[in-house]
Amino acid sequence: MDQSILSIRNLSKKYGRIRAVDELSMEIPKGSVYGILGPNGSGKTTTLGLVLSVINPSAGSFSWFGGIPSKADRTRIGAILEVPVFYPYLSGEKNLRIIASIKGCSCEKIPELLDMVKLTERKNSRFRTYSLGMKQRLAIAAAMLGNTEVLILDEPTNGLDPQGIAEIRELILRIAAEGMTIILASHLLDEVQKTCSHVAVLNKGKNIFTGKVDEMVNASSEVEIMAYDEEGLDRGLKENPHVVSYAREGNRWVVKLSEGYDSSELNQYFLSRKVILSQITIKKKNLEKYFLEILEKK
Amino acid sequence: MIRLLKIEISKFAGNKTFWILSGLYVVLISLFFFGVQAFLDDLAAQANKQSPIPLPGISAYSLPDIWHNLTYIAGYFKIFPALIVIILITNEYAYKTIRQNIICGFSRWDFLKSKFLSLALFSLAATLLVFVIGLILGLIHTDHVSFHDVFGRMEFLAAYFLEVFAFLMFAFLIGMLAKRSGLAIGLLLLYFYIIEPLARFRLPAYIADYFPKKAIGSLIDIPNTTIMRLFGVEFQDYISLTDTALVAGYVIVFGALSYWIILKRDL
Repeated sequence: MDQSILSIRNLSKKYGRIRAVDELSMEIPKGSVYGILGPNGSGKTTTLGLVLSVINPSAGSFSWFGGIPSKADRTRIGAILEVPVFYPYLSGEKNLRIIASIKGCSCEKIPELLDMVKLTERKNSRFRTYSLGMKQRLAIAAAMLGNTEVLILDEPTNGLDPQGIAEIRELILRIAAEGMTIILASHLLDEVQKTCSHVAVLNKGKNIFTGKVDEMVNASSEVEIMAYDEEGLDRGLKENPHVVSYAREGNRWVVKLSEGYDSSELNQYFLSRKVILSQITIKKKNLEKYFLEILEKK
Repeated sequence: MIRLLKIEISKFAGNKTFWILSGLYVVLISLFFFGVQAFLDDLAAQANKQSPIPLPGISAYSLPDIWHNLTYIAGYFKIFPALIVIILITNEYAYKTIRQNIICGFSRWDFLKSKFLSLALFSLAATLLVFVIGLILGLIHTDHVSFHDVFGRMEFLAAYFLEVFAFLMFAFLIGMLAKRSGLAIGLLLLYFYIIEPLARFRLPAYIADYFPKKAIGSLIDIPNTTIMRLFGVEFQDYISLTDTALVAGYVIVFGALSYWIILKRDL
């Protein structure tokens, strides 16, 4: 059994008659990149607000690092809820200094962190003047100040352009590789699938699925193919031992491949049989289907 | 405690609104202090024209009475630091930095303590300003200054500190309640100029005198002048212990209410 960084037990938050978080339980293992997945309004941010003590719970409890919740826990956690939050009229560096003194740590790490998030050049500009991507990166730098052991990110790529998204994801993976526990809330399956090791799926404040991402993603994948030589295609599919199943949908074929066999190998196989594929598309992996199925069931 | 105060200082030191309002406060209060004697002289001259008997002039700047005179006048300017306080606390809500401060490791009490310390700092700065200007004006306008003349009535400065601090605690509480600066400033003005005066209007003095604005404002009463004495009006020319205790009580009440709000509220 992994050591738990955060255990949540039957945590609830009611707003009037609405249950934003409903009897939620969760164990977040040390060193994991833990995705909290759910549609907008499923209680992700509220849950994070509860465990960060900015929202008072209606019922239930949680514990960080196995102890009784205290403000000292939060100095070991770096968190960004919803949007990067800083004093807009202060420079990036001054904002980091304020956070360092709140955390009670030294400012020594600031230049190094600014470097890591590529903001050294703009460190003296006011936060107000930063682009969204820069704000998000400054927030990550702020979260890494002090002796951070857990990083909490809430929709970190929301509203960013593709380059910004790529930069943030790369940054997250780099930080995760250093062994830090990361909790990532997102409504993007793709994001969770690309960055997380574990996932919990929330819907209407309830935890409806918990597991490891690679267990959840069915190893076999699906591709869509087309070829002018339909007969050759049909025969080729029938004779390929790596094809688990296939079906015709309109003018294309949906093919399920066995584990470890990918689209390029399939392409190679057909080429060797002198069948030229006119189209080959990898279908979204099964996490999405899985996710939708889970949501529909509830 | 020093750490909390340092954090607060770095928060407002970079805030332009803070500097504009503070500058305006210092300029206005200085202009008023330096100009008040000319105004009184003019008033006396006007009055003398119509008076059958010669009226004595009033000297606002003679030590040690200057402490009473200036702290009384300065009382009318405390709205400036109150606006600053409201803007600083409502900004924390508008920018959501109050939440981020807690996330980064403040307890709710730490946050409040840092704010209360800054209110004390503002009150101290306002008191020091009165002290410095008072000293300059007093030394210029008083003949044969003795140690007692300068430091004899320092209780008025202490009372002024309490008056400003209590008022700032009240403004802070309203800022906490309203969360938005416009609303908070509106509420503060509404309470001070309409709600409390109206409420007091109908009530007997033994109740009306205990309302916050009245209590805070009565700490330093109108300075006596020879003219007033001629008409037989006598104001309180000392700081009463009962008034002080009442205002101190309000400070505790405002502080406790702010604490209750921050404890119960989801940030």
